[in-house]
Amino acid sequence: MEAQVDLNSIYAPSEDVVARDVHGEFIIIPMTSGIGDSDDAIFSLNEFGRAIWDKLDGKTSLKEVARALALQFEGDTTEIENDVLGLAEELLKRKMIIKA
Amino acid sequence: MQDSFVEPLKLLELPVWEKIKNERRLISFDLEITARCNNNCRHCYINLPAKDKRTKEKEMSLAQIKNIVEQAIELRALWCLITGGEPLLREDFFDIYLYLKKKGLLISVFTNATLITEEHIKFFKRYPPRDIEVTVYGVTEETYEKVTRNPGSCDAFMDGLELLLKNKVKVRLKAMALRSNVHELTAISQFCRQRTKDYFRFDPFLHLRFDADIKRNEEIKSERLLPKEIVTIEKNDPERFQALEKGCDGLINPDFAHFGCDHLFNCGTGNGSFTVSYDGFFRLCSSLWHPDCIYDLKKGMLAEAWHKFVPQVRGMRSKRDDFLKKCRVCPIINLCIWCPAHSYLETAELDNPVDYFCKVAHARSESLAPQFRPSIATQP
Ligand code: SF4
Ligand code: SF4
Repeated sequence: MEAQVDLNSIYAPSEDVVARDVHGEFIIIPMTSGIGDSDDAIFSLNEFGRAIWDKLDGKTSLKEVARALALQFEGDTTEIENDVLGLAEELLKRKMIIKA
Repeated sequence: MQDSFVEPLKLLELPVWEKIKNERRLISFDLEITARCNNNCRHCYINLPAKDKRTKEKEMSLAQIKNIVEQAIELRALWCLITGGEPLLREDFFDIYLYLKKKGLLISVFTNATLITEEHIKFFKRYPPRDIEVTVYGVTEETYEKVTRNPGSCDAFMDGLELLLKNKVKVRLKAMALRSNVHELTAISQFCRQRTKDYFRFDPFLHLRFDADIKRNEEIKSERLLPKEIVTIEKNDPERFQALEKGCDGLINPDFAHFGCDHLFNCGTGNGSFTVSYDGFFRLCSSLWHPDCIYDLKKGMLAEAWHKFVPQVRGMRSKRDDFLKKCRVCPIINLCIWCPAHSYLETAELDNPVDYFCKVAHARSESLAPQFRPSIATQP
Protein backbone atom coordinates (compact mmCIF):
# COMPACT_ATOMS: atom_id res chain seq x y z
CA MET A 1 0.00 0.00 0.00
CA GLU A 2 1.27 3.47 -0.87
CA ALA A 3 2.18 5.61 2.10
CA GLN A 4 -0.33 8.48 2.49
CA VAL A 5 0.88 11.75 3.91
CA ASP A 6 -0.91 15.04 4.29
CA LEU A 7 0.12 18.41 5.61
CA ASN A 8 -1.95 18.13 8.77
CA SER A 9 -0.25 14.97 9.94
CA ILE A 10 2.46 14.86 12.58
CA TYR A 11 5.46 12.54 12.39
CA ALA A 12 8.36 11.48 14.58
CA PRO A 13 11.56 9.54 13.85
CA SER A 14 11.12 5.79 14.22
CA GLU A 15 12.95 4.16 17.11
CA ASP A 16 14.31 1.66 14.60
CA VAL A 17 16.68 4.17 13.02
CA VAL A 18 19.45 6.40 14.29
CA ALA A 19 20.21 9.71 12.57
CA ARG A 20 23.73 11.03 12.98
CA ASP A 21 26.19 13.52 11.67
CA VAL A 22 29.29 11.63 10.56
CA HIS A 23 32.04 14.07 9.64
CA GLY A 24 29.68 16.51 8.00
CA GLU A 25 27.43 13.94 6.35
CA PHE A 26 23.95 13.56 7.84
CA ILE A 27 23.03 9.91 7.67
CA ILE A 28 20.25 7.65 8.81
CA ILE A 29 21.34 4.22 9.97
CA PRO A 30 18.76 1.46 10.28
CA MET A 31 18.94 -0.38 13.59
CA THR A 32 16.60 -3.19 12.74
CA SER A 33 16.01 -5.26 9.63
CA GLY A 34 13.40 -4.36 7.03
CA ILE A 35 14.32 -0.69 6.75
CA GLY A 36 15.63 0.39 3.41
CA ASP A 37 16.38 -1.92 0.53
CA SER A 38 19.17 -3.97 2.03
CA ASP A 39 20.50 -4.64 5.49
CA ASP A 40 23.78 -2.86 4.97
CA ALA A 41 22.44 0.32 3.40
CA ILE A 42 22.80 3.67 5.06
CA PHE A 43 20.92 6.77 3.95
CA SER A 44 22.10 10.25 3.40
CA LEU A 45 20.01 13.43 3.68
CA ASN A 46 21.05 16.70 2.09
CA GLU A 47 20.99 19.96 4.00
CA PHE A 48 17.34 20.60 3.22
CA GLY A 49 16.37 17.02 4.10
CA ARG A 50 18.19 17.37 7.37
CA ALA A 51 16.38 20.62 8.17
CA ILE A 52 13.07 18.83 7.64
CA TRP A 53 14.17 15.79 9.66
CA ASP A 54 15.17 17.98 12.61
CA LYS A 55 11.66 19.36 12.75
CA LEU A 56 9.87 16.00 12.70
CA ASP A 57 9.57 15.96 16.47
CA GLY A 58 6.22 14.24 17.01
CA LYS A 59 4.58 17.57 17.84
CA THR A 60 4.79 19.72 14.72
CA SER A 61 2.53 19.16 11.72
CA LEU A 62 4.05 19.02 8.25
CA LYS A 63 2.33 22.29 7.43
CA GLU A 64 4.07 23.98 10.37
CA VAL A 65 7.36 22.33 9.37
CA ALA A 66 6.98 23.77 5.87
CA ARG A 67 6.11 27.21 7.21
CA ALA A 68 9.20 27.25 9.45
CA LEU A 69 11.39 26.15 6.56
CA ALA A 70 9.92 28.76 4.21
CA LEU A 71 11.04 31.39 6.72
CA GLN A 72 14.44 29.76 7.26
CA PHE A 73 15.23 29.31 3.58
CA GLU A 74 13.17 32.28 2.34
CA GLY A 75 11.51 30.02 -0.23
CA ASP A 76 8.14 29.65 -1.85
CA THR A 77 5.76 28.06 0.68
CA THR A 78 3.89 25.87 -1.83
CA GLU A 79 7.13 24.52 -3.26
CA ILE A 80 8.48 23.83 0.20
CA GLU A 81 5.24 22.16 1.26
CA ASN A 82 5.61 19.83 -1.74
CA ASP A 83 9.19 19.02 -0.78
CA VAL A 84 8.20 18.35 2.83
CA LEU A 85 5.42 16.05 1.64
CA GLY A 86 7.82 14.30 -0.73
CA LEU A 87 10.42 13.65 1.94
CA ALA A 88 7.86 12.56 4.53
CA GLU A 89 6.34 10.14 2.03
CA GLU A 90 9.74 8.65 1.29
CA LEU A 91 10.69 8.38 4.95
CA LEU A 92 7.37 6.79 5.79
CA LYS A 93 7.69 4.31 2.96
CA ARG A 94 11.13 3.37 4.27
CA LYS A 95 9.72 3.08 7.82
CA MET A 96 12.09 5.75 9.10
CA ILE A 97 9.34 7.89 10.61
CA ILE A 98 6.08 7.04 12.29
CA LYS A 99 2.80 8.92 12.54
CA ALA A 100 2.50 10.54 15.95
CA MET B 1 10.27 19.28 -6.52
CA GLN B 2 13.21 16.98 -5.92
CA ASP B 3 13.09 13.35 -7.15
CA SER B 4 14.49 11.76 -4.06
CA PHE B 5 15.48 13.19 -0.69
CA VAL B 6 16.80 10.08 0.93
CA GLU B 7 19.78 8.70 -0.87
CA PRO B 8 20.72 5.10 -0.07
CA LEU B 9 24.47 4.73 0.16
CA LYS B 10 26.91 1.91 0.56
CA LEU B 11 29.48 2.49 3.26
CA LEU B 12 32.29 2.97 0.78
CA GLU B 13 30.35 5.64 -1.08
CA LEU B 14 30.38 8.01 1.88
CA PRO B 15 32.25 11.25 1.12
CA VAL B 16 34.15 10.86 4.38
CA TRP B 17 36.58 8.44 2.69
CA GLU B 18 37.76 11.31 0.52
CA LYS B 19 38.15 13.55 3.55
CA ILE B 20 40.41 11.11 5.39
CA LYS B 21 42.89 11.11 2.54
CA ASN B 22 43.97 14.54 3.71
CA GLU B 23 43.23 14.60 7.41
CA ARG B 24 42.82 12.29 10.37
CA ARG B 25 39.20 11.45 11.10
CA LEU B 26 37.89 8.60 13.16
CA ILE B 27 35.85 6.16 11.11
CA SER B 28 36.04 2.84 12.89
CA PHE B 29 37.32 1.05 15.94
CA ASP B 30 37.86 -2.51 17.11
CA LEU B 31 36.55 -3.56 20.48
CA GLU B 32 38.29 -6.64 21.82
CA ILE B 33 35.69 -7.49 24.39
CA THR B 34 37.56 -10.52 25.70
CA ALA B 35 40.90 -12.26 25.27
CA ARG B 36 39.34 -15.59 26.27
CA CYS B 37 38.35 -18.25 23.81
CA ASN B 38 36.68 -21.67 23.94
CA ASN B 39 39.18 -22.85 21.30
CA ASN B 40 42.91 -23.04 21.78
CA CYS B 41 44.21 -22.51 18.25
CA ARG B 42 47.87 -23.25 17.71
CA HIS B 43 48.52 -20.01 15.86
CA CYS B 44 46.42 -17.67 17.98
CA TYR B 45 48.07 -14.45 19.16
CA ILE B 46 45.56 -13.62 21.85
CA ASN B 47 43.54 -16.49 23.26
CA LEU B 48 43.51 -17.25 26.95
CA PRO B 49 41.41 -20.08 28.40
CA ALA B 50 37.64 -19.54 28.43
CA LYS B 51 37.47 -20.12 32.18
CA ASP B 52 40.49 -17.99 33.07
CA LYS B 53 39.18 -16.08 36.09
CA ARG B 54 41.94 -13.48 36.25
CA THR B 55 41.54 -12.54 32.59
CA LYS B 56 37.79 -12.34 33.00
CA GLU B 57 38.17 -10.03 35.96
CA LYS B 58 40.38 -7.71 33.91
CA GLU B 59 37.83 -7.45 31.10
CA MET B 60 36.15 -4.11 30.60
CA SER B 61 32.72 -4.00 32.19
CA LEU B 62 29.63 -3.16 30.18
CA ALA B 63 29.66 0.30 31.77
CA GLN B 64 33.28 0.88 30.72
CA ILE B 65 32.54 -0.26 27.20
CA LYS B 66 29.52 2.05 27.00
CA ASN B 67 31.65 4.92 28.18
CA ILE B 68 34.27 4.33 25.50
CA VAL B 69 31.63 3.89 22.80
CA GLU B 70 29.97 7.13 23.87
CA GLN B 71 33.29 8.92 23.47
CA ALA B 72 33.89 7.27 20.08
CA ILE B 73 30.50 8.52 18.91
CA GLU B 74 31.46 12.05 19.96
CA LEU B 75 34.49 11.66 17.69
CA ARG B 76 32.05 10.61 14.94
CA ALA B 77 32.99 6.95 14.61
CA LEU B 78 30.73 5.05 12.24
CA TRP B 79 31.77 1.44 12.37
CA CYS B 80 32.75 -0.96 15.14
CA LEU B 81 34.26 -4.41 14.95
CA ILE B 82 33.45 -6.59 17.95
CA THR B 83 36.22 -9.10 18.32
CA GLY B 84 38.14 -11.15 20.84
CA GLY B 85 39.22 -13.89 21.73
CA GLU B 86 35.75 -15.24 21.14
CA PRO B 87 33.30 -12.39 21.73
CA LEU B 88 30.29 -14.68 22.14
CA LEU B 89 31.82 -15.95 25.38
CA ARG B 90 30.79 -12.74 27.08
CA GLU B 91 27.53 -13.17 28.90
CA ASP B 92 26.63 -9.56 28.10
CA PHE B 93 27.38 -9.87 24.38
CA PHE B 94 23.80 -8.95 23.42
CA ASP B 95 23.86 -5.88 25.67
CA ILE B 96 27.13 -4.67 24.18
CA TYR B 97 25.96 -5.26 20.63
CA LEU B 98 22.59 -3.59 21.18
CA TYR B 99 24.21 -0.58 22.78
CA LEU B 100 26.43 -0.10 19.73
CA LYS B 101 23.40 -0.42 17.48
CA LYS B 102 21.42 2.13 19.48
CA LYS B 103 24.30 4.55 19.11
CA GLY B 104 24.04 4.29 15.32
CA LEU B 105 27.15 2.24 14.64
CA LEU B 106 27.54 -0.28 11.88
CA ILE B 107 28.74 -3.52 13.42
CA SER B 108 30.99 -6.36 12.31
CA VAL B 109 31.65 -9.37 14.49
CA PHE B 110 34.57 -11.79 14.37
CA THR B 111 33.63 -15.19 15.75
CA ASN B 112 34.67 -18.81 15.41
CA ALA B 113 30.92 -19.60 15.09
CA THR B 114 31.09 -22.56 17.50
CA LEU B 115 28.85 -20.83 20.05
CA ILE B 116 26.13 -19.62 17.67
CA THR B 117 22.66 -20.59 18.87
CA GLU B 118 19.10 -20.01 17.67
CA GLU B 119 19.00 -17.12 20.11
CA HIS B 120 21.87 -15.40 18.31
CA ILE B 121 20.15 -15.96 14.99
CA LYS B 122 16.91 -14.41 16.20
CA PHE B 123 18.86 -11.46 17.53
CA PHE B 124 20.98 -10.95 14.40
CA LYS B 125 17.90 -11.17 12.21
CA ARG B 126 16.23 -8.43 14.19
CA TYR B 127 19.41 -6.32 14.51
CA PRO B 128 21.50 -7.20 11.46
CA PRO B 129 25.27 -6.86 11.66
CA ARG B 130 27.07 -5.45 8.68
CA ASP B 131 28.80 -8.78 8.57
CA ILE B 132 29.95 -11.69 10.66
CA GLU B 133 33.42 -12.89 9.83
CA VAL B 134 34.16 -16.52 10.55
CA THR B 135 37.51 -18.24 10.25
CA VAL B 136 37.58 -21.73 8.79
CA TYR B 137 40.45 -23.71 10.30
CA GLY B 138 39.77 -26.90 8.39
CA VAL B 139 36.95 -28.78 6.72
CA THR B 140 37.58 -32.18 8.26
CA GLU B 141 37.28 -32.85 11.94
CA GLU B 142 40.86 -34.04 12.07
CA THR B 143 42.36 -30.86 10.64
CA TYR B 144 39.96 -28.44 12.26
CA GLU B 145 40.55 -29.85 15.70
CA LYS B 146 44.26 -30.24 15.15
CA VAL B 147 44.28 -26.45 14.88
CA THR B 148 41.74 -25.59 17.58
CA ARG B 149 42.73 -28.33 20.04
CA ASN B 150 39.13 -28.35 21.19
CA PRO B 151 37.30 -31.68 20.82
CA GLY B 152 33.83 -31.24 19.36
CA SER B 153 34.68 -27.80 17.96
CA CYS B 154 34.43 -28.90 14.31
CA ASP B 155 30.83 -30.06 14.67
CA ALA B 156 29.98 -26.95 16.68
CA PHE B 157 31.53 -24.76 13.97
CA MET B 158 29.69 -26.53 11.14
CA ASP B 159 26.37 -26.25 13.03
CA GLY B 160 26.96 -22.57 13.88
CA LEU B 161 27.92 -21.66 10.34
CA GLU B 162 24.98 -23.57 8.90
CA LEU B 163 22.61 -21.69 11.21
CA LEU B 164 24.02 -18.33 10.10
CA LEU B 165 23.89 -19.17 6.42
CA LYS B 166 20.47 -20.83 6.51
CA ASN B 167 19.06 -17.71 8.12
CA LYS B 168 20.78 -15.41 5.65
CA VAL B 169 22.86 -13.57 8.20
CA LYS B 170 25.63 -11.86 6.22
CA VAL B 171 28.74 -14.00 6.65
CA ARG B 172 32.25 -13.59 5.35
CA LEU B 173 34.63 -16.50 5.50
CA LYS B 174 38.37 -16.47 5.79
CA ALA B 175 41.14 -18.89 6.63
CA MET B 176 44.55 -18.86 8.21
CA ALA B 177 47.12 -20.86 6.28
CA LEU B 178 49.31 -22.79 8.69
CA ARG B 179 51.40 -25.92 8.86
CA SER B 180 48.55 -27.90 10.45
CA ASN B 181 45.99 -27.14 7.74
CA VAL B 182 47.96 -26.26 4.60
CA HIS B 183 47.26 -29.69 3.07
CA GLU B 184 43.56 -28.84 3.22
CA LEU B 185 43.74 -25.26 1.97
CA THR B 186 42.26 -26.02 -1.45
CA ALA B 187 39.33 -27.81 0.17
CA ILE B 188 38.91 -24.93 2.64
CA SER B 189 38.86 -22.45 -0.21
CA GLN B 190 36.23 -24.52 -2.09
CA PHE B 191 34.18 -24.88 1.08
CA CYS B 192 34.17 -21.09 1.55
CA ARG B 193 33.48 -20.20 -2.06
CA GLN B 194 30.54 -22.60 -2.18
CA ARG B 195 29.01 -20.90 0.82
CA THR B 196 29.51 -17.18 0.29
CA LYS B 197 29.75 -14.95 -2.74
CA ASP B 198 32.17 -12.60 -1.03
CA TYR B 199 35.83 -12.68 -1.87
CA PHE B 200 37.31 -15.38 0.30
CA ARG B 201 40.68 -14.54 1.75
CA PHE B 202 43.31 -16.54 3.53
CA ASP B 203 46.14 -15.21 5.59
CA PRO B 204 49.51 -16.95 5.80
CA PHE B 205 51.00 -14.40 8.20
CA LEU B 206 50.89 -15.62 11.75
CA HIS B 207 51.47 -12.92 14.35
CA LEU B 208 53.23 -13.56 17.59
CA ARG B 209 51.47 -13.30 20.94
CA PHE B 210 50.36 -10.05 22.54
CA ASP B 211 51.55 -11.37 25.90
CA ALA B 212 54.92 -12.56 24.52
CA ASP B 213 54.30 -16.08 25.91
CA ILE B 214 57.53 -17.84 24.92
CA LYS B 215 56.13 -21.36 24.57
CA ARG B 216 53.13 -20.19 22.57
CA ASN B 217 55.34 -18.05 20.36
CA GLU B 218 57.48 -21.08 19.54
CA GLU B 219 54.30 -22.95 18.63
CA ILE B 220 53.21 -20.11 16.33
CA LYS B 221 56.60 -20.04 14.63
CA SER B 222 56.41 -23.78 14.05
CA GLU B 223 53.06 -23.25 12.31
CA ARG B 224 54.46 -20.67 9.89
CA LEU B 225 54.83 -21.73 6.28
CA LEU B 226 58.12 -21.42 4.42
CA PRO B 227 58.41 -18.41 2.08
CA LYS B 228 58.22 -20.64 -1.00
CA GLU B 229 55.10 -22.37 0.35
CA ILE B 230 53.43 -19.00 0.85
CA VAL B 231 54.28 -18.00 -2.70
CA THR B 232 52.97 -21.31 -4.04
CA ILE B 233 49.62 -21.04 -2.31
CA GLU B 234 49.30 -17.41 -3.38
CA LYS B 235 50.01 -18.34 -6.97
CA ASN B 236 47.46 -21.13 -6.79
CA ASP B 237 44.83 -18.58 -5.90
CA PRO B 238 44.45 -16.43 -9.04
CA GLU B 239 42.13 -13.91 -7.35
CA ARG B 240 44.62 -13.28 -4.58
CA PHE B 241 47.61 -13.25 -6.85
CA GLN B 242 46.06 -10.70 -9.18
CA ALA B 243 45.17 -8.57 -6.17
CA LEU B 244 48.77 -8.79 -5.03
CA GLU B 245 50.05 -7.71 -8.43
CA LYS B 246 47.52 -4.91 -8.64
CA GLY B 247 48.30 -3.73 -5.14
CA CYS B 248 51.97 -4.01 -5.82
CA ASP B 249 51.69 -1.96 -8.95
CA GLY B 250 50.27 0.93 -7.01
CA LEU B 251 52.33 0.48 -3.92
CA ILE B 252 55.83 0.23 -5.20
CA ASN B 253 56.23 3.78 -6.31
CA PRO B 254 59.29 5.98 -6.03
CA ASP B 255 57.66 8.36 -3.56
CA PHE B 256 56.86 5.63 -1.15
CA ALA B 257 60.18 5.19 0.53
CA HIS B 258 60.65 8.79 1.76
CA PHE B 259 64.41 8.48 1.62
CA GLY B 260 66.14 10.34 4.39
CA CYS B 261 63.18 10.26 6.79
CA ASP B 262 63.63 8.54 10.15
CA HIS B 263 59.99 8.17 11.14
CA LEU B 264 59.04 4.75 12.43
CA PHE B 265 55.53 4.69 11.07
CA ASN B 266 54.78 5.16 7.42
CA CYS B 267 51.50 3.26 7.38
CA GLY B 268 48.09 4.69 8.16
CA THR B 269 47.97 3.43 11.73
CA GLY B 270 45.87 5.64 13.96
CA ASN B 271 44.67 7.78 11.06
CA GLY B 272 41.10 6.55 10.81
CA SER B 273 40.74 3.87 13.43
CA PHE B 274 41.90 2.45 16.74
CA THR B 275 41.63 -0.69 18.83
CA VAL B 276 40.66 -1.16 22.47
CA SER B 277 42.03 -4.19 24.29
CA TYR B 278 39.89 -6.36 26.53
CA ASP B 279 41.33 -4.58 29.57
CA GLY B 280 40.70 -1.06 28.32
CA PHE B 281 43.94 -0.05 26.62
CA PHE B 282 43.80 2.12 23.52
CA ARG B 283 46.09 1.04 20.67
CA LEU B 284 46.63 2.58 17.25
CA CYS B 285 46.02 -0.77 15.61
CA SER B 286 45.37 -4.31 16.73
CA SER B 287 49.03 -5.42 16.48
CA LEU B 288 50.67 -2.48 18.22
CA TRP B 289 51.35 -3.47 21.83
CA HIS B 290 54.57 -1.60 22.64
CA PRO B 291 54.20 0.02 26.09
CA ASP B 292 55.02 3.45 24.65
CA CYS B 293 52.23 3.06 22.12
CA ILE B 294 49.29 2.17 24.39
CA TYR B 295 47.07 4.48 26.40
CA ASP B 296 44.99 3.46 29.40
CA LEU B 297 41.39 4.47 28.77
CA LYS B 298 40.54 3.60 32.35
CA LYS B 299 42.59 6.59 33.42
CA GLY B 300 42.23 9.00 30.50
CA MET B 301 39.84 10.13 27.83
CA LEU B 302 39.50 8.86 24.30
CA ALA B 303 39.68 12.39 22.87
CA GLU B 304 43.08 12.84 24.47
CA ALA B 305 44.27 9.48 23.15
CA TRP B 306 42.98 10.33 19.70
CA HIS B 307 44.06 13.95 19.41
CA LYS B 308 47.27 14.01 21.45
CA PHE B 309 48.60 10.51 21.99
CA VAL B 310 48.26 9.21 18.42
CA PRO B 311 50.24 12.07 16.80
CA GLN B 312 52.88 11.57 19.49
CA VAL B 313 53.22 7.87 18.60
CA ARG B 314 53.11 8.55 14.89
CA GLY B 315 55.89 11.03 15.36
CA MET B 316 58.26 8.44 16.86
CA ARG B 317 61.63 8.19 15.16
CA SER B 318 64.39 5.65 14.93
CA LYS B 319 68.14 5.94 15.11
CA ARG B 320 68.81 2.29 14.30
CA ASP B 321 71.05 2.07 11.30
CA ASP B 322 69.78 -1.33 10.34
CA PHE B 323 66.22 -0.05 10.14
CA LEU B 324 67.07 3.24 8.42
CA LYS B 325 69.11 1.49 5.75
CA LYS B 326 66.76 -1.46 5.22
CA CYS B 327 63.06 -1.36 6.09
CA ARG B 328 62.72 2.42 6.10
CA VAL B 329 63.76 2.65 2.47
CA CYS B 330 62.68 -0.79 1.37
CA PRO B 331 61.14 -0.78 -2.13
CA ILE B 332 59.20 -3.96 -1.45
CA ILE B 333 57.84 -3.04 1.96
CA ASN B 334 54.34 -3.39 0.56
CA LEU B 335 54.96 -7.05 -0.07
CA CYS B 336 56.21 -7.43 3.46
CA ILE B 337 54.32 -7.57 6.74
CA TRP B 338 57.13 -5.73 8.42
CA CYS B 339 55.93 -2.77 10.43
CA PRO B 340 56.95 -1.37 13.82
CA ALA B 341 54.12 -3.28 15.52
CA HIS B 342 55.19 -6.65 14.12
CA SER B 343 58.82 -5.83 14.70
CA TYR B 344 58.00 -5.33 18.38
CA LEU B 345 56.13 -8.63 18.60
CA GLU B 346 59.04 -10.45 16.98
CA THR B 347 62.05 -8.71 18.52
CA ALA B 348 60.81 -6.64 21.49
CA GLU B 349 61.87 -3.50 19.59
CA LEU B 350 59.97 -1.35 17.15
CA ASP B 351 62.67 -0.94 14.56
CA ASN B 352 64.33 -4.27 13.87
CA PRO B 353 64.17 -5.90 10.47
CA VAL B 354 62.75 -9.42 10.74
CA ASP B 355 64.52 -12.15 8.83
CA TYR B 356 61.47 -14.34 8.20
CA PHE B 357 59.37 -11.40 6.92
CA CYS B 358 62.25 -10.34 4.71
CA LYS B 359 62.55 -13.77 3.14
CA VAL B 360 58.82 -14.00 2.50
CA ALA B 361 58.74 -10.52 0.94
CA HIS B 362 61.62 -11.30 -1.39
CA ALA B 363 60.08 -14.61 -2.41
CA ARG B 364 56.82 -12.77 -3.15
CA SER B 365 58.63 -10.12 -5.13
CA GLU B 366 60.42 -12.73 -7.24
CA SER B 367 57.14 -14.49 -7.95
CA LEU B 368 55.62 -11.42 -9.58
CA ALA B 369 55.72 -10.78 -13.30
CA PRO B 370 58.70 -8.53 -14.16
CA GLN B 371 56.56 -5.44 -14.79
CA PHE B 372 55.26 -5.60 -11.22
CA ARG B 373 58.63 -6.18 -9.66
CA PRO B 374 60.41 -3.33 -7.94
CA SER B 375 63.59 -2.24 -9.65
CA ILE B 376 65.74 -2.04 -6.55
CA ALA B 377 65.64 -4.89 -4.07
CA THR B 378 67.21 -4.85 -0.65
CA GLN B 379 68.86 -8.08 0.33
CA PRO B 380 67.51 -10.20 3.14
S1 SF4 C 1 39.04 -19.36 17.58
FE1 SF4 C 1 40.11 -17.42 17.17
S2 SF4 C 1 40.38 -16.42 19.16
FE2 SF4 C 1 39.87 -18.57 19.49
S3 SF4 C 1 41.81 -19.57 19.72
FE3 SF4 C 1 41.19 -19.78 17.58
S4 SF4 C 1 42.14 -18.02 16.55
FE4 SF4 C 1 42.19 -17.60 18.74
S1 SF4 D 1 61.53 -6.92 2.98
FE1 SF4 D 1 63.09 -6.87 4.57
S2 SF4 D 1 63.98 -4.85 4.43
FE2 SF4 D 1 62.03 -4.79 3.36
S3 SF4 D 1 60.55 -4.16 4.95
FE3 SF4 D 1 60.55 -6.37 4.92
S4 SF4 D 1 61.96 -6.93 6.55
FE4 SF4 D 1 62.40 -4.80 6.03
